[in-house]
Amino acid sequence: MRNLWIGILGTAFVLSLAWGFTEYRQADQYEKVSVNQYQRSLRDLASNLDQLETDLAKGRVAATSSQKVLYLGQAGTISESAVKDLAQLPAEENGLSYISEFLNRTGDFTRSLAYQISVGHTPTAEEDKTLTDVHERLLTVNQNVQDLVQRVDTEGLAWVDNPSIWTRVAGFWQTETAEAAAAAADGPASSVRSGLDQLNASLQKLPPFSYVGEYESRSVREPLALPKQEVDKDVALKAAKSFLSKMGYPTTELEFSGVSQGALGVYIFKQGNLFMTVSKRGGKVINYRDQREFSERTLSPDQAKEKVAQTLKALEWDLVLTSTEDYGGYLQLEYVQDENGVRYYPDKLRITVALDNGQIIGYDSTPYYAYHQKRNFTKKLTLEQAKTKLRKGFQIKENRMAVIPVMGNREVMAYEFRGKYQDEEYLVYINAGSGIEERIQRIIKTPKGEYLQ
Amino acid sequence: MIAKKRVWVGIFTLSIALILAGVAYGALGDRTLSQGSRGPEVTELQKRLASLGYVVGKVDGIYGTKTKAAITRFQRERGLKVDGMAGTQTIKELKLMTGNSTNASGKSVGPKNVDINLLARCVSAEARGEPYVGQVAVAAVLLNRLEDPAFPNTIADIIYQPLAFSSVADGQINMAPTSSAVKAAQEAVSGVDPTGGAIYFFNPAKTKNKFIWSRPQIMQIGNHMFTR
Repeated sequence: MRNLWIGILGTAFVLSLAWGFTEYRQADQYEKVSVNQYQRSLRDLASNLDQLETDLAKGRVAATSSQKVLYLGQAGTISESAVKDLAQLPAEENGLSYISEFLNRTGDFTRSLAYQISVGHTPTAEEDKTLTDVHERLLTVNQNVQDLVQRVDTEGLAWVDNPSIWTRVAGFWQTETAEAAAAAADGPASSVRSGLDQLNASLQKLPPFSYVGEYESRSVREPLALPKQEVDKDVALKAAKSFLSKMGYPTTELEFSGVSQGALGVYIFKQGNLFMTVSKRGGKVINYRDQREFSERTLSPDQAKEKVAQTLKALEWDLVLTSTEDYGGYLQLEYVQDENGVRYYPDKLRITVALDNGQIIGYDSTPYYAYHQKRNFTKKLTLEQAKTKLRKGFQIKENRMAVIPVMGNREVMAYEFRGKYQDEEYLVYINAGSGIEERIQRIIKTPKGEYLQ
Repeated sequence: MIAKKRVWVGIFTLSIALILAGVAYGALGDRTLSQGSRGPEVTELQKRLASLGYVVGKVDGIYGTKTKAAITRFQRERGLKVDGMAGTQTIKELKLMTGNSTNASGKSVGPKNVDINLLARCVSAEARGEPYVGQVAVAAVLLNRLEDPAFPNTIADIIYQPLAFSSVADGQINMAPTSSAVKAAQEAVSGVDPTGGAIYFFNPAKTKNKFIWSRPQIMQIGNHMFTR
């Protein structure tokens, strides 16, 4: 009997050893895979930074615009690759955001400068100085990363700080991981991660460099179409109720559920499946959503559009429909401002309509209130002059005047030409003032409708 | 002579049978599929359903109870007649949602929804059970990061950034997205952003992280606080 027990325990022991060994080997293999990936990303980052730094130096000295555009354009592309490498390296939850921001802004700046030079602009003294500043900052960043690579090579620098056995045991009880103590510490970094954290912290202290670029175009900085004066909650509730009744909803149980902060601050209201927001400034309905399920559809897309047109009229909107996407049970529509034959694409209203009863179930007026304003554009080119700016062989199907947003958070007035070139269809925009080809959009036909790329 | 005739009859019968088999396994939409149907059309049906977030189990070419349940849900959520069968209208609708795009001269350019699928999986993993507006908001946060210099520049880079999303770390991102997550992702891609520019979100009841609490808060939708 005793021997039997010894036998069972012995076998169990041997089995558990074998199991432990396999697990260990597997974990070891996984670790190697991830370390190899880190290695690759860090080295890619270092060589991209090196190339970026060289391109910036060349871009500074280049005298002809073609050379300047070449190097600055290249710098733009390489900075994107560097950001990609950086995003694959071990980091804290909030990431290496200042390094990333610096690299992205460098790319944004060089790309937009390259674009402006390509359309005939000569860099100003201020832009030259910014380029010099950016280059100098990048020299430091590059130096830091090269040092880390060298330390990985020569000292076998760890990727992350290994927590002590006690911290790990404590980790069983605490869900929050220990804060990275090394983040702002001075002295040589104890791991690649803490080295990058140090670099991140040092960039945080520098003031941002100024330039006109593409970033921050999505979030609203200042809603141009809303009055400065704020309304109180009751006025907002009244606006919400009036909106709902025009849409054909009862409003008896509409209740206040919070506010939002920021440039486009709103009051939030709810009623069953309904969610809606009303701007503090001016008390306009900004967002509205009916999250109900659909019943069987009874309307054709055209009938639904007709119903939307009636509702929009009741809500005192005077806009034109520019895009329809058919999602089967519902349509997504886009309306824009149209004045004297000029389309104002930034002033947009998005509508979702259900085909079961033609009710508007989604409404987003954010772009309209964010961008609509009185504009002063002067048209210098005639239609015939604008046509000469198009590529030879471009067959025009339609044309009109339009105001479009362009790089650097600006708007321009342009001639919009819709037409075919060889086997593709495009929208081409020619600036009505300067004659510059501002933007090209390719038209794709999806099963849901036309789509611009 | 008789033997020869028999051979001809045999060949004739065989070819008829082959033609019939070809018709029976025609393209998706040629016939109504229902529980018990089998074949490549069912496989295609299942693939299309799965890509929209309707769970069909294993894609095996057999129209079983799971496929029927998926079709039923698809019909209910799309405002179609609910009968659990994939008839002309249901399949037309499915093709509308999952078909390829073409350029002006009709050349296929693919379905053009690579990012939407990944986005939807992230929304599904991070915000399952949240109200629909909250799901659109989570998708909008991801898209806002594209426009923010502090983040990488593609959807995949943003989602797979180490430690950026717990659903990536625990593998939930690899699960099929829910149908409402797919819809929310599509809506956010079309430009809707209920948060007005948020770049972070977190669950106030579950997070103690100092960094995330220090961000300027915009608004709460469902269980998520959205911040700049």
